Amino acid sequence: MKMENMSLSGLDNTKLEALAQDIYSDLVEDACLGLCFEVHRAVKQGYFFLDDTDQESMKDFEIVDQPGVDIFGQVYNQWKNKECVCPNCNRSIAASRFAPHLEKCLGMGRNSSRIANRRIASSNNTNNKSESDQEDNDDVNDNDWSYGSEKKAKKRKSDKNPNSPRRSKSLKHKNGELSSSVNTDPYKYNYNTGINYETLGPDELRSLLTTQCGVISEHTKKMCTRTSLPDSNTAVESDGYDASDGQVLMSRLQWDGSSDISPSDSASSKASTNNSDSKKPKKKKKTSLNSTGGGGGGSGSVGGSSSQGCLAGQANRKKPKLPVPPAPSIYDNLN
Amino acid sequence: MNKDSQMRAAINQKLIEMGERERLKELLRAKLVECGWKDQMKAQCKDVIREKGLEHVTVEDLVVEITPKGRALVPDSVKKELLQRIRASLAQHSTL
Repeated sequence: MKMENMSLSGLDNTKLEALAQDIYSDLVEDACLGLCFEVHRAVKQGYFFLDDTDQESMKDFEIVDQPGVDIFGQVYNQWKNKECVCPNCNRSIAASRFAPHLEKCLGMGRNSSRIANRRIASSNNTNNKSESDQEDNDDVNDNDWSYGSEKKAKKRKSDKNPNSPRRSKSLKHKNGELSSSVNTDPYKYNYNTGINYETLGPDELRSLLTTQCGVISEHTKKMCTRTSLPDSNTAVESDGYDASDGQVLMSRLQWDGSSDISPSDSASSKASTNNSDSKKPKKKKKTSLNSTGGGGGGSGSVGGSSSQGCLAGQANRKKPKLPVPPAPSIYDNLN
Repeated sequence: MNKDSQMRAAINQKLIEMGERERLKELLRAKLVECGWKDQMKAQCKDVIREKGLEHVTVEDLVVEITPKGRALVPDSVKKELLQRIRASLAQHSTL
């Protein structure tokens, strides 16, 4: 059709506007017609006047515009000063406080049980303490509430059992290939490591230190459980180092005999432990060297003449080649 | 002139086809209810009915009385908005 090809762009603005007006008036007329039909139907069906109220009711519910009164004619604080009698405790309570009082009185509110429990707990504490421990009576009487919280805090602390299985699991993860027995043994020694290195026999020490680092951190008193991983890359730098390392350690142990941790050594051992710990995520050439160096440092902490070894361990990070030659040379005599 | 009216018819037809006219109608209805025009008109209707008598009022009576008042009572804002929408739809559909 011809008409369809004609576009509006052909029209100028006035015509366009006129067109718009026409469309608009058509729409409005449609709306009016719609309304008329609706009303007419409502009239004929009989529901048109249903939403009207009669004149009497209109007067009753008229909007009130007086001061001191709301639009319904009600006074705002009419019940403010009134008092109600509580059916539970038969006390006279102010109206505004009546609801919260009833909540607590009947024991049905959200907080009422909590408060009651707290009161019971504190009264129990005071009763128990005064019976059992006369010395602390004053303290208990002074701070009821804080004592209860203290007790809770203490309880919580003791819950953090150092012997908990969780801790041993983390160690197991670290050591991977190790059997559980080896894991648990060093784990026990984590506390009183200073003493336990002494008590360990040479065989046990050997098995322990060939598999793990063994450096005891001063502040945590824990033994470093890093394994000295056999790394093929390390062969480039020091072929015989790893192989001889275990023997070196053992020989040093046998030679030293004593296993005191002197402060300087323990500090250095801590440093070397830190070194090895920090190097762990980077699996590069130097890690095994560091661990062995740390191991050397660790075993060095066992004996007094280990400072050189510790330094060697620390220097391992930057100049791996330097300490390598001296280490075998020192122990060549021993071997 | 004939061409224009023909074209108008064609455009109207197009609007209907696109569904645009329906949308515009709904929009207008909603706006009229919102601004209270409908309630006003209902009050007017009540007057007419009371005048003519409840039983005998016809659609024609209502239409004749109500439509001119209705046209006049549409608020300006509604009118302007609707015209704007119409112009926009026309512009949109002129390219199609």
